[in-house]
Amino acid sequence: MNYNELTRRYFESAANVGELTGAGVFRGAAGSQTLGTWVQFDLQINAGAVSAARFLAFGCPHTIAVSAWLAEQAVGHAVKPQLPEGVQGLRDRFAVPVEKMGRLLIIEDAWLAAAAAAAAALEYGENTHISRLTK
Amino acid sequence: MNTARKPVYLDHAATTPVDARVAASMADVLRSETEYGNPASTSHDYGDVAAALVESARTQVAAAVGASAAEVIWTSGATEANNLAIFGASQYYRDRGRHIVTVRTEHKAVLDPCRELERRGWEVSYLVPDKEGLIDPEQVAAALRPDTVLVSLMHVNNEIGVVQNIAAVAAICARHGGAWLHVDAAQSVGKCPIDFAGLGVDLMSLSAHKVYGPKGVGALLVAHRGDFSGRGRVQLAALQFGGGQERSLRAGTLATHQIVGMGLAFELASTISSMETARVAQLQQRLWRGLAALGGVLRNGSATRSVPHVLNVSFEGVEGESLLAAIRPYVAVSTGSACTSALAEPSYVLRALGRSERLSESSLRFGLGRTTTEGDIDTAVAVLTREVGRLRQVAGATPVA
Repeated sequence: MNYNELTRRYFESAANVGELTGAGVFRGAAGSQTLGTWVQFDLQINAGAVSAARFLAFGCPHTIAVSAWLAEQAVGHAVKPQLPEGVQGLRDRFAVPVEKMGRLLIIEDAWLAAAAAAAAALEYGENTHISRLTK
Repeated sequence: MNTARKPVYLDHAATTPVDARVAASMADVLRSETEYGNPASTSHDYGDVAAALVESARTQVAAAVGASAAEVIWTSGATEANNLAIFGASQYYRDRGRHIVTVRTEHKAVLDPCRELERRGWEVSYLVPDKEGLIDPEQVAAALRPDTVLVSLMHVNNEIGVVQNIAAVAAICARHGGAWLHVDAAQSVGKCPIDFAGLGVDLMSLSAHKVYGPKGVGALLVAHRGDFSGRGRVQLAALQFGGGQERSLRAGTLATHQIVGMGLAFELASTISSMETARVAQLQQRLWRGLAALGGVLRNGSATRSVPHVLNVSFEGVEGESLLAAIRPYVAVSTGSACTSALAEPSYVLRALGRSERLSESSLRFGLGRTTTEGDIDTAVAVLTREVGRLRQVAGATPVA
């Protein structure tokens, strides 16, 4: 399997790995390690914008690289119920083979779960929502 | 590949570097002004010189595996030898029976011909090994039927290195009387002793490039002996035609330089000392100790009934493709998944041993050989320790420091 330079860089460095705790942290996860791909995002929200993001991922280099990139890109932007870049855009940017589109959808599900939790909390005034799905 | 900083090569079970003496012998033939004749040309000295080289190599190969020179049929490699054995025997004995016995953990070069025969109407029984990868010879006995014409069983497994009890299976086949025994021994030469005649095997596939010889040449041993059961000698139908070479079993001009290389490679392999085997065994133990210290590392295959040249392990908590990508710049090994597309398929051998899909995908096969050093092992252990730890951290299996 060949990977483009961006995929190699984010796979090898994989910054923003880990979990966040405390007020204003919202978590979303999707997939299953048993089935081969699992992703979790923690988003820390301050004044409606992402102030910190962390991820965990069990999956192929594309899965790890895309997750790391999303966690990096999110900081400083308003939390929205959508990926910072759409699935097709991510596929092009990271040269993800079509056979792996399902993995990008798992990443999207994890991201949307965290973003939706943040959006709901902002709407109802909650400040923490962590729902860890099964690994 | 950056040749200034090459990855440590630990994939000797896939192929081996050509021994410098072997390469020199082949180059001598290619450069020679007298050795380029067609070995089948008996009308002049050029042909006779080439034929003498071929026959000398035939003797070298035979001597290395306890066979007679007349039992050696040159092929392009073990895959062709397996095909000739399986299709040749099944075709020749098709009127006597159309049942074959083999094992789920055989190489694809055996399984795919068997599947093709199934498509053509043969029946194939696929034996399931135990969780260490071993077949009980009694499983073979139980699978034999009156219409069984062939049993195909590999000697040393290419993925997990386990050694099957060939002699016991050969005795069972001889008692049956109608089932010939084919053994894929591509991984055996130079790793453990082979006595073709003593084992009682009827057909045996050999490869040069697993033994520090060239790619593109191998052999099928076809037993000439009869046995006391009165069944006579194994016969094969030819698969290719066009010149009558190799007792009309394998037509085609012989590649003298390749054959000379294989002959010398086998002669050198037969002189490998017990000290070298012990050295490789020590390296394997060093590797296993280093990897086991990581925790969550499972050994695949029998630790006691295997060659020391192969170590197959599964890593818990890491995904297979990421593991291979992470270590690829530093260590050359084989993965437990077959990348036939962008999505890897888990090893069917490890799945047959009962390993889960995830653990089959996250397995690595380390192939140790003559060129492997303690430094290579230490590098591999250091890289695996770092990268497995990192990937487990990314997966949340261990806390981020």
